Amino acid sequence: MRKRLPEFQSIVQVYAVIAVLFAGWTITAFLWKLSAWLLLLNLGEVFTIFSYAMAANFLESLSILLLLLIACSLLPARVLRDEFVVRGTILSAGIIGSLMVFVGSQMYFGIERGVLLLIAPLSVLILTAFLLQRASKLHQVRSIAVLFSDRVVVFLFILLPLFAVASIYVLFRNTS
Amino acid sequence: MSTLNRREFLKASAALMAGVTFAGASRFLSPPGFQGTNKPNILMFVFDAMSARHLSLYGYERETTPNLKKFAERAFVYHNHYSGGNFTTTGTASMLTGLNPWTHRALNYRGMVDRHLTDRNLFRLVGNEYTRLAFTQNLWADILLSQFEPDIDIHLPCDSYSPYIHSSTQPDDLPSDRRMAYYVFQDFMSLRVDDPHTFPGSLLMASSDLARALAPNRNHISGEYPRGLPTNYDYSYENASILDGIGGLLRDSLAQAEPYLAYFHLWSPHSPYNARKDFIGRFEEEVQIQAKARHPFSGGNYSQSALQTYRREYDEFIADLDAEFGRLLADLERSGILQNSYVIVTSDHGEMFERGELGHATALMYAPVTHIPLLISAPGQTSRSDFHSTTSNVDLLPTILKIAGKEIPEWVEGRLLPGFGGNQDPTRSIFPMMGKDNAAFQPLKQATFVLIKNGYELLFYTGYPGHEDQFELYHLEQDPHELQNLFSKDITTTSHMKNELLEAISTANRNFQMR
Repeated sequence: MRKRLPEFQSIVQVYAVIAVLFAGWTITAFLWKLSAWLLLLNLGEVFTIFSYAMAANFLESLSILLLLLIACSLLPARVLRDEFVVRGTILSAGIIGSLMVFVGSQMYFGIERGVLLLIAPLSVLILTAFLLQRASKLHQVRSIAVLFSDRVVVFLFILLPLFAVASIYVLFRNTS
Repeated sequence: MSTLNRREFLKASAALMAGVTFAGASRFLSPPGFQGTNKPNILMFVFDAMSARHLSLYGYERETTPNLKKFAERAFVYHNHYSGGNFTTTGTASMLTGLNPWTHRALNYRGMVDRHLTDRNLFRLVGNEYTRLAFTQNLWADILLSQFEPDIDIHLPCDSYSPYIHSSTQPDDLPSDRRMAYYVFQDFMSLRVDDPHTFPGSLLMASSDLARALAPNRNHISGEYPRGLPTNYDYSYENASILDGIGGLLRDSLAQAEPYLAYFHLWSPHSPYNARKDFIGRFEEEVQIQAKARHPFSGGNYSQSALQTYRREYDEFIADLDAEFGRLLADLERSGILQNSYVIVTSDHGEMFERGELGHATALMYAPVTHIPLLISAPGQTSRSDFHSTTSNVDLLPTILKIAGKEIPEWVEGRLLPGFGGNQDPTRSIFPMMGKDNAAFQPLKQATFVLIKNGYELLFYTGYPGHEDQFELYHLEQDPHELQNLFSKDITTTSHMKNELLEAISTANRNFQMR
C-alpha cells in the first residue's frame, strides 16, 4: 500500500498548500468580522470562535489531502503519484480555488444569479484540468507549483500547533 | 428499502428526544411535593415582530386578529404594553430577565445578556418544581435561551417542526456548547445565502450551503405560498406545522410533566411576510394613514406606496398566523389544557411602515416598533378585563413568578401587572431603548432612548455620527400616530421628562461602570 502513496516529504508539501489556502481564507474572514464581534463578545468568546474555525480548517485540509491520497492509490502512478508535488499542488489549489470563487461569486452577485454562480468555479476547474494535463510540458507551471509548495511549508510550523491547540480546546469544550 | 424524509426524521427524533429528556426530567418529578401540587401550567406564546398597532384586537381597521379577539374575551388585555427594545435580542432579554436593556446589556444584534447576570432569568426563578420547556424559531432568541440552558429542562431545536433546512449546521449541532454555536456556525462558518454581505469562514461548509441553496427545490414554493414559504432565512416553515407540533407536544408529552412553564417564541409574523394564499388579497382597501416624511435617522428610504404594500403583506401574514393560532387554542380548549393553564400571548417587539423605514431594528423608536400585544388568560377564565395603564415587558417576569407562587427578587426592574396584584399607575415610567451599535461592555453613548409616562412619549437620539442629539415629544393618547412633536411646545412636560430620562441614563451608566 505504501508503494502506492507518494513520499512523505511530497505529502507534507501538498498538505501545506491545502492548509495555507484554507487557513488564509478563514483568517481573512475572521479579521473581517472581528470588529463586529468585539461589540458584543468578550475575548474568550472570540477565541472560542477562532478555535472552532481552526479545528474545522484542520478537518477540511485533512479531508482534501485524504481525497488526493485516495486518488493516488487508485489511479495509475503517472497520473498523480509520480509528480505528486506538482500535480497535487495544482489539483488542491484548483479545487480550493474553485470553492473560493464559488462562494465569492455569491458574495459578489448574490444568490439571485442562481446556477450562473457555477460558471466561475467550473472555469477554474477546467483550467485546473488543463494545467494538470499539460503539467509535464509547461515548465513554468511546474516551477511555480514546486516553488509555492516548498515555500509554504514553513507556515505549517504555525498552523499545525494552532490546529492542535484549537482542536484540543474544542474537544474539551464539548466533552467537559 | 423505505427511507425517512426530513419531516419523518424530525418527528422520530423529537419523539426520541422527548423520551430521553423526560427520562432525564423524571428527577424533577420525583421530589415529594411536586406531583400532586395544584400549580397551574404557564404557556407563553411570543410572536416575533407583532406590533399591537396592527391588531384588530386593539382597534386596527383591518380585521387581522379575529381569533385573538375571541381569546381576549376570556383574558386580561393590556392596551399600552411596551417592549424594552425594538428587535429580538433586546426585547426578549428584557422579557426573560425582568431587566431594562441598559442593565441586561443584550443590546447588539445577536447579543447576549451580561455574563454575570445569566442566573437572573425566568426559568431559574420559576424553579425546578416546574418542567421548563423552551422553543424558539428565532436564532437570536435561542442564543439567550442557550445562556439560560442550565435552567431549562427541555430546549427544543430551532428547526423543530420545520422540514426545509437551508443551512448545513444548526445551533443544536453543538449540544454541549450551544451558547457559542450560533456564532461559530451561523455568524461565521456557514453561508447565509440570502445575505450576500457575509463572509463565511469555512469554505467547505459555505460551499455545501450554497450548493443546497441552488438545488431546484430550495424553497419548496407550492401553490399554497405564492410568495414562497415563510422563512427565518435558515429554514422555511409553515405556521400550521409549527403550531400543530406545539399542540401535539402539549397534549401528549407535557401532560405527563405538569406543572410546566412552556416558552414558545415563533418567527411569524416577522418578515418575509409570506402568508398562505387564502390570506393574500384579503385586505385590498388601503389603510387611511397620513403620510409621514422620511425621518433623518431612518435607515431606509421606502416610498409611501411601497410601505403600503409591505403593510398589507404584513397584515395578511398576521391574519394567517391568527387563524392557525385560533386552531391551536381550540385544540387546547378541547383537550382541557386551558382549564389548568395560564396562557400568555405577547411579542418581543413591533414593526413599522412609516417615515421611510421598514422593519424594526431602527434608530426610530416610535410606538409601532415598541407597542406590543399582551393578553393573559387565567385557568378557566370566562370574562375579559381591560387595562389601559402603561406596562412594560419587564413586568412579565415578576408576574409569572407571582403566578408560580415564587418570591420576586429585589433586583427585578419590572412590576406586577395590573390584575395580578399591580396597580394601574399612570405616573409609571418605562424606558425602551435601542443601542445596537453601542459596545455591550461600554457605557451607553450611541442609542435611541424612550421614556413613556402619563400618556406621553419622549424620544432621545444621541451619539449618532453626523447628527446632533435630538429630542421629540408626543402625546400618545391624543396623537397616537405621533405626528405633532410637542418638544418645543409643551415646555413643562418636556422639561420634566427630559430631566428624568437623562438622569435615568446617567444612573444606568454609573451603575454599569461600578459593576
